[in-house]
Amino acid sequence: MDTEDIDISDEEEEITAESVLNILKNSWQNERLTPEILPHRNDMVECMLGQIQHMERNINKLPKTDLRASIHKMEINRIKYIICNYLKTRLNKIEKYCITIVNEERQRMETGTNYLTPSEYRYALDYINNMEQHLKNTVLNHVPSNMQSFEINKMAVVPNLYSHVFLKANETVTGVILEDVLGDQDEEIDLDDLFIY
Amino acid sequence: MDPYEIEFIGENRIISIIPNFSYDKIYLICGEFGPFRAGLPMNAPLWLAVMLKQKQKCRIVPPEWMDMDNLENIKEEEKKSRFFTKMPNEHYMVEAKLILGAAADDVPNATEIKTIIKDIWDIRMSKLRTSMDALMKSGGSYGRLDHLTMMEINSVKPLLPSAMDELLTIKMRTRKNMPATLNSSTYSQSGTSQNI
Repeated sequence: MDTEDIDISDEEEEITAESVLNILKNSWQNERLTPEILPHRNDMVECMLGQIQHMERNINKLPKTDLRASIHKMEINRIKYIICNYLKTRLNKIEKYCITIVNEERQRMETGTNYLTPSEYRYALDYINNMEQHLKNTVLNHVPSNMQSFEINKMAVVPNLYSHVFLKANETVTGVILEDVLGDQDEEIDLDDLFIY
Repeated sequence: MDPYEIEFIGENRIISIIPNFSYDKIYLICGEFGPFRAGLPMNAPLWLAVMLKQKQKCRIVPPEWMDMDNLENIKEEEKKSRFFTKMPNEHYMVEAKLILGAAADDVPNATEIKTIIKDIWDIRMSKLRTSMDALMKSGGSYGRLDHLTMMEINSVKPLLPSAMDELLTIKMRTRKNMPATLNSSTYSQSGTSQNI
């Protein structure tokens, strides 16, 4: 049995694969925990998928009973889970806040800093279109014509960016000002571990 | 996040195992581990350790903190202190659950350890609930929760922030001076910190 064929060719690629994985893990956690959609990391996803395909081809060359095969398979499944969960989270957000996201995305596209991948954008547009059609077919076309106007922007759900959060300082920060949204007093605190605000 | 996702993150922690087989280094995407030498301790991520254990290919070395005396001390500290004390590691609950679940025979006094960790967890959770209650009643807008682990934060995450959001909305409604643009400087300050 050839022990070499499972190895990723050289050291340098190994390090990159690891950091790609770390970036993905971070983006996944960030995406899970923020209300709004974040810039996509499609480059990383593609890169990792390529890596996985490469690994899977190598695994298939190994005998089924080989211990390494099952270890690698398990790792690949874990990574796939992260990627799936990441993409699903984004899709959920797109569905929930589709109108807001598409409106913001249009502005961002002009400056070339788009957050969605082209396919995500297409998905969002389709989603809005379908929703509009659905509402028209089920209700609007059957009500008197003076009530048939449809203002899509009034339906927009906006993510609550001013929600309370847990935050943990990675380094000590002094004098962070908590501004009171009610506008009567600002409080100043030092961040060094964990807060809820 | 869901508890199983926290568990998933916790499974990436490195622990020590003693394999009962020999093998070359294994190159995983998350890093390289090994070489496996029968009888010699080595490091591996928790998920790998649990998997090998299930296949009866290794023994798990219990982490240093998983020790009766140590845990007794932690429990006493936790009882005495009004605040949360520092836990041996960020994912103590996940680690304890997985190791004791998969490899109870590798841990001396496994049942006692299970009980005491559960006790510590209970003390901390009741503390957390009391302080949440106090925070709500005092009407403060922020609280300090040092040394809380990810799993513990997550257990109140579905409730606490949204409850505080609701309170804030109610407060703003009663004042009837909803500012047109909410101030965002608090949030931009958190650039160096990480949302949990």
